[in-house]
Amino acid sequence: MVTLKPINKKEAALYLGYGKNEPDPVILNLMDECEGPLQEACHPSFCYGIFDVQMCSEERVVLSECDLELTGKDIGKLLSGCEKAVLFAATLGSGVDTLMRKLQVGNMPKAILTDAMAGAAIEQICNDFQEELAVQFPNMKQTMRYSPGYGDLPLAIQGKLLETLSAGKRIGLNVTEGNMLTPLKSVTAVIGLRDITKEEERSRLKDMMDSDAVINAELSVGDCSREACAGCAFAAKCHKNDNR
Amino acid sequence: MKNDRIKILDGAMGTRLQAMGLPLGGIPEVWNITEPEKVTSVHASYLAAGSDIVYTNTFGANSYKMRDSGYTVTELISAGVANARKACADYPGSKVALDVGPLGKLLSPLGDLSFEDAYELFREQVVAGKDADLIVIETMTDLYEAKAALLAAKENSDKPVFVTMSFEANGRTFTGTSIECMALTLSGLGADAIGFNCSLGPAELTPMVKKLYELTELPIVLKPNAGLPDPVTNQYNVSAEEFADCIGELLPYGLIAAGGCCGTTPEYIAALKAKAVAFAEEEKRTDLPEKRKVTGICSSTDAVWFSEPRVIGERINPTGKKRFKEALLNGDMDYILSQAISQVDAGADILDVNVGLPGVDEKEMMVRVVKELQAIVNVPLQIDSKMPEVIEAALRIYNGRALVNSVDGEEKNLTSILPIVKKYGAAVVGLTLDEGGIPTKAEGRFAIAERIVKRAEALGIKRNDVQIDCLTLTASAEQAAVAETLKALAMVHDRLHTGAVLGVSNISFGLPNRELVNSTFLTMALQNGLTLPIMNPNSEAMMGALRAYRLLMNLDQHAMAYTEAYKDFVPAKADAKPGATTPAGSVADETEAKIRSELGDKAAELYAAVLTGRAERGELLADELLSEGDPMTMVNGVLIPALDTVGAGFEKGRIFLPQLMLSASVVQGVFGRVKEYMAKTGQEQVSKGLIILATVKGDIHDIGKNIVKMLLENYGFTVRDLGRDVDPQVVVQAAKETGAPLVGLSALMTTTLGSMEETIRALKEAGLNCKTVVGGAVLTPEYAERIGADYYGSDAKATVDIAREVFHC
Repeated sequence: MVTLKPINKKEAALYLGYGKNEPDPVILNLMDECEGPLQEACHPSFCYGIFDVQMCSEERVVLSECDLELTGKDIGKLLSGCEKAVLFAATLGSGVDTLMRKLQVGNMPKAILTDAMAGAAIEQICNDFQEELAVQFPNMKQTMRYSPGYGDLPLAIQGKLLETLSAGKRIGLNVTEGNMLTPLKSVTAVIGLRDITKEEERSRLKDMMDSDAVINAELSVGDCSREACAGCAFAAKCHKNDNR
Repeated sequence: MKNDRIKILDGAMGTRLQAMGLPLGGIPEVWNITEPEKVTSVHASYLAAGSDIVYTNTFGANSYKMRDSGYTVTELISAGVANARKACADYPGSKVALDVGPLGKLLSPLGDLSFEDAYELFREQVVAGKDADLIVIETMTDLYEAKAALLAAKENSDKPVFVTMSFEANGRTFTGTSIECMALTLSGLGADAIGFNCSLGPAELTPMVKKLYELTELPIVLKPNAGLPDPVTNQYNVSAEEFADCIGELLPYGLIAAGGCCGTTPEYIAALKAKAVAFAEEEKRTDLPEKRKVTGICSSTDAVWFSEPRVIGERINPTGKKRFKEALLNGDMDYILSQAISQVDAGADILDVNVGLPGVDEKEMMVRVVKELQAIVNVPLQIDSKMPEVIEAALRIYNGRALVNSVDGEEKNLTSILPIVKKYGAAVVGLTLDEGGIPTKAEGRFAIAERIVKRAEALGIKRNDVQIDCLTLTASAEQAAVAETLKALAMVHDRLHTGAVLGVSNISFGLPNRELVNSTFLTMALQNGLTLPIMNPNSEAMMGALRAYRLLMNLDQHAMAYTEAYKDFVPAKADAKPGATTPAGSVADETEAKIRSELGDKAAELYAAVLTGRAERGELLADELLSEGDPMTMVNGVLIPALDTVGAGFEKGRIFLPQLMLSASVVQGVFGRVKEYMAKTGQEQVSKGLIILATVKGDIHDIGKNIVKMLLENYGFTVRDLGRDVDPQVVVQAAKETGAPLVGLSALMTTTLGSMEETIRALKEAGLNCKTVVGGAVLTPEYAERIGADYYGSDAKATVDIAREVFHC
């Protein structure tokens, strides 16, 4: 069972376009009111698989014992030099979707706050997972989380990624015709793992891990095909949040 | 042999095929055709270990999952059945079960697959698997999907059907279905056996099996995993012996079939077979728990047992409600849904749904309203209609077990309605009237009740699934009849032993202080055996009477619910003015000063209430202003200027989206009061113009569209909301029908921008000269122009400005 910590309201405020501003007390109170029902509606869970990177070229990545091929320059760049790739999927569960539908009928202010807070919650599940992963693989350095739809990694691999993880069976996560994840508050991602005990890799690693460089190179408004900033590893740095 | 009923099923298939070289994420069903020997060898290994029934390798063999497989469903399933049959040839008496798993796509409202399409996908599988001996629907986590599959199986095959669902450790499936809801829904729909498979090991499933045993009369099927998987190695942690020991203990609990799911091998099946053989021979008796006698109904997540009085909310019904009638005629779903939410929040256990109104296609509307309701509320529904075809359509798409309101003693109704109730496994209200009308005397009503119960029982509907309505007559018209209703209630309770329904509020029609009469009558009726009052849960007096009744009858033990409800109770003071609250600090700005001088203090305070987001205060002030003056003055003189002030702050970055929405919701509330006022005074609603909104095909994120909708309505526009995942042709059709001058399209992902472009093209090709405005997180003004949109709405406020420009207001 995955447990959810108190929701990071600063993160939620960021998704709501507050930037550096603090929400006023009325809004903060409303957020507090939203937290209970949201926590109750959340049944967070995740699953993952760790695969050897069999081949990694500039255009595509092949993982061993797995029918999923990752295509695009960006994923090639991300996983270059990585021994392993982690396929990861997480969801807050369908209860949050039901809560959101109800709030959108009865209380739009709470609906948008809950939406942003749910985004912060799934983000937190992802971060916690990456921390666990770090403990599990102390000698491996993780790349950033990279999701289908970022840069040129096709969103269309979403279904195959879930099949590979049996995510439907394990955590109830599915895709729609349009490759959207259902339940809605869900994330899938690829994380590269690189052995840092290899001395000669270290300096090169430093450059590669500078995720700001990757973001600035790959993302500008209009390029990103993510549905929302919530749960996106770029959220804090993305242009979209600059002027919302 | 004493207990030889138990059949041994097989173990895992997918993992065995992977061990033989099927890659992760590969399609196992394709091997039915490309590697038939390997698939057959897996079946054979389980038969050799003792399986009586093997599941075909067709778990995911539906058109959706197989779309890229290169084979048709019929090819894959026929081959799958043939492989299993071939393996069975050496084991006389062994059976082939057509395995039907989840579709791999969530049903609406969770996903984008309609119930009807899901049924069609399952139907195709059932037909393709006609040569199997039985059908197993397994690993279901969505009760709605399980229902579609079960209906498809029952309607297209006469083979026995097992349905097993997968539960998490918290006793619910991924979509929130509880064991109670599974038992109530699937038992009613005619499954031959139900149970559990996958997700957990036998130890975790043990308490669930025992619980299910109490909840259903049906035999139970169990196919657990070999324990829980290690997250890293994916190895399961329960040995074959432990597995068999654990299930062995459960065999007396109504089990009819047992096997293994993920992580199990022939070794597990052999161990299990040994247990079943020993069980068949032994005399040992287990003290089994009693089956639950009380009946209940459920949504997909919440069961309501008729073990004590339950409130049925009466407000979703146009009778005598002008505003509701108007909402039905205009398809104003938000109003109907808000009635549902307020009743549930007030404590309704069940919601009655009646949408019968001249000028409204009742069947279509019923299906629409039931689908919308079950997407947002968790309480079960009571389907209220006189028309068999409406009842059937609603029961078919209902996600759970419903109560039907109602059948009466008239012969043609008994013959047309009861079979539908039986088919869909619903409970039913029996009205004590017939061709001869309502009998005056209690004895006459009782006789009809008895007749209805007999007819229901003859069809296999259980007695306790019939809830008798002894009918409330209006006290002001027929004062002496009240006693007859109460007497009939008592007779039904004492002699017929069924539950009893009663529409309580009718009693006071035409009298002053209706709540007093209603709550007194409610208490009297409860005392005489009423179990399901149909009433307005928003009536504090009636809910109070019910709470007190539950307390006094020791149903609310230790008065927990009562004290919780009244912990902040303060006796009303005689001189208190209802609703008078202290005004918060005023928002001194020029606009406010101007409104104060032109329209007075109350108008200025309403302006401030919008700015500060105080909804209750806003509605109270609106009511006062409406009683004094013209609604349009209030709308144009106060609400719009307030929205403009907030909007300007939003544009300048001084106010953020949540505050904007808070103000918008105050205005929404005030508009609700205006609509109520207009309906009451018979005035026509004034609209600034009609705008169509839709989230485009393929996109199911619609919060952005809903924000825009709310703000547009705030400014007095009428919005026809087509929802999410809307086909371009549906938009064209709506634009044609309504002649709306502006169509707003929303998309949240780059992948669905194509649908947006397609929709705009379709509108142009249809020769419609409406303008289009597009918006969404990933859109840019350049892109909007490229796809031919007339306007780009960067946010909700900007979209309102565009609408004002288009409509010149």
